[in-house]
Amino acid sequence: MKNFKAVGGRLLQLALVLWAVVTILFLMFRLMPGNPMAAYIDPTFTLEQQQQLMAQFGLDKPLWHQYLIYLGNLLQGELGQSFRYREPVGQRIWILLPNTLILTFSSLIVAYVFGILAGAYLAWRRGSWVEQAAIPLVLTTRAMPEFWLGMVMLAIFSFSLGWLPAGGTRAPGNEYSGFLDLYTSRDFLAHLALPAATLAIYSQGLPLLLMRSNMLDVMKEDFVTMARIKGLSNWTVVVRHAARNALLPVMTSFAIAVGYQLQGNVVVESVFSWPGLGRELVNAVAASDYPLAQGAFLMIALVVIFMNLLADLLYAFLDPRISHA
Amino acid sequence: MSEPLLSVRDPLLSVKDLRVSYQVGRNFVHAVDGASFDIPRGSITGLVGESGCGKTTVARALTRVIAENAAITGGQILFDGKDLAKIPEKEMNALRWRDIAFIPQSAMNSLDPVYTVEYQLDEVLRRRGGLSRKQSRARSEELFEMVGIDANRLNDYPHQFSGGMRQRVAIALALALDPKLIIADEPVTALDVIVQRQILDQLKELQTRLGVSVILVTHDISVVAYICDRTVVMYAGKVAESGTMQAALTAPSHPYTMGLRNAFPDLQGAASGILTPIEGAPPNLASPPAGCRFKPRCPFALDICGTEPPVIEVAPDHPVLCHRAHESAALRIESAKTETWMAPA
Repeated sequence: MKNFKAVGGRLLQLALVLWAVVTILFLMFRLMPGNPMAAYIDPTFTLEQQQQLMAQFGLDKPLWHQYLIYLGNLLQGELGQSFRYREPVGQRIWILLPNTLILTFSSLIVAYVFGILAGAYLAWRRGSWVEQAAIPLVLTTRAMPEFWLGMVMLAIFSFSLGWLPAGGTRAPGNEYSGFLDLYTSRDFLAHLALPAATLAIYSQGLPLLLMRSNMLDVMKEDFVTMARIKGLSNWTVVVRHAARNALLPVMTSFAIAVGYQLQGNVVVESVFSWPGLGRELVNAVAASDYPLAQGAFLMIALVVIFMNLLADLLYAFLDPRISHA
Repeated sequence: MSEPLLSVRDPLLSVKDLRVSYQVGRNFVHAVDGASFDIPRGSITGLVGESGCGKTTVARALTRVIAENAAITGGQILFDGKDLAKIPEKEMNALRWRDIAFIPQSAMNSLDPVYTVEYQLDEVLRRRGGLSRKQSRARSEELFEMVGIDANRLNDYPHQFSGGMRQRVAIALALALDPKLIIADEPVTALDVIVQRQILDQLKELQTRLGVSVILVTHDISVVAYICDRTVVMYAGKVAESGTMQAALTAPSHPYTMGLRNAFPDLQGAASGILTPIEGAPPNLASPPAGCRFKPRCPFALDICGTEPPVIEVAPDHPVLCHRAHESAALRIESAKTETWMAPA
């Protein structure tokens, strides 16, 4: 019963955050200097035609009225019409979002699984030569800019060795009957490999270092010492007690990392010409395609908010002190 | 001997000249510097002394789970015909918890917060005791009943218990595999006086019923007086005095024991007059004073105390590490006076 109440409260909070994001997005684009229609309106249009277009997009109405219409449309899932593509923003996002999510989650899952295992291992082997060599290496991966790493990966694996394709999601000319068909094809996975590897190499440092330092802290806890005094095997002590407890903050960091990763995607998607939301966002802003940019921002915000909720719920599930408090 | 139960002729555990050192930077701190004592079967022995006197280090050395920068550098720990200081790690691990269990000071921190109490009992019962799932459940219920907790709380997490309850859980855990020896490291220090007494009563009752031997590590001599059969008084890494409760606390022969007795109130509530502290602090063990280590704080110190004190048996089974142990009857009378401890020695 208590749990339901907590989740309900959390959902209400989430709705408030969402409303704030939506409002900020609305104001951000309205308050920017310049006419939002600049990209849309041809200079050869007559003033009358221009005003007609403004009216068509509802830009002649007062701000509060526009805001209400905007909220009303959003509630119906209506994100507006892209200036550039002359098609609904929702449709555009629907095509691009899966590419971004697949790239983000495949790279992050690889990064976290590797980071958690390696971090736990390095904590366990504290002071050994393995640890001494690994820590500077990990810090180096953290220090490399993503775009640079991406270009190096491209130079080596695509241009020199020719093992993997350089960009896009599929070889030219290949057609697929549906999403699932495309995403499970060898072609798609080969295209995914380099950008995902780039992001994974960039992202594994955070969970690795976090896991390692948490492990080192937890290993000093009394209950780990007690587990040893109980004569439990080394594996049980390290995995079931130390790693299990050290994992908690790392899991939370995963959700936050998704948010960062979506930012990072903007760069990596551009380097690898990956048709995702990040690249589209950059293009939309550059082309003053405000409805599309607004929609892309909103989508990214939605994913981040949702991941934060997931992190909270997951934490409550993993840590009984929170769910039973 | 008059009391066969407390006989030290066939001790369960015999610690001989035990040395444990910590490496701190380039220095070695000899936290335990030649401690010898016996633990008879079926008794509670209080290991008492101030913070930093080495009592917890001794307790942990008996399990051989010690700090990373610590090592047993000498001596013997004879237990059941084996020298625990020497046997291979594998053999030692087989012995842990099955023969030697441990009750920690803070059960809050020593129970894993993410598992239920039943999981933690089950872990010991099945992984270490080889019980089946069903037997383990039955034994867990039995253990909870023994320490007076309702069995339907087995599924609770550690944070759902009160401090006293958690300490009972820790006792249940220690009893799980019917060990021969339980080492209790300050088991009631974190509790209020009323709960302290309940836990001590319970420990005593279970110890008597099960015939297990208990080493009770404490800084509180009134706790020792309350439930222990024997006492080992430690000071600065050495055993100052040891013997039966009767011998060591009603007729203490080491000035340090006399001072400790004056410094604590009685747990049973009898007002024993003014409390008199021992001035000063225990020496830094990285560079202990020459000769008797208690000399700088001892009101009875003489010039001779600058040399290594001998172990003198003031009575059978009552060794005292003091040059003036023979005069202890006279010193006892002096030590009862507050003025004795006021003047800097």
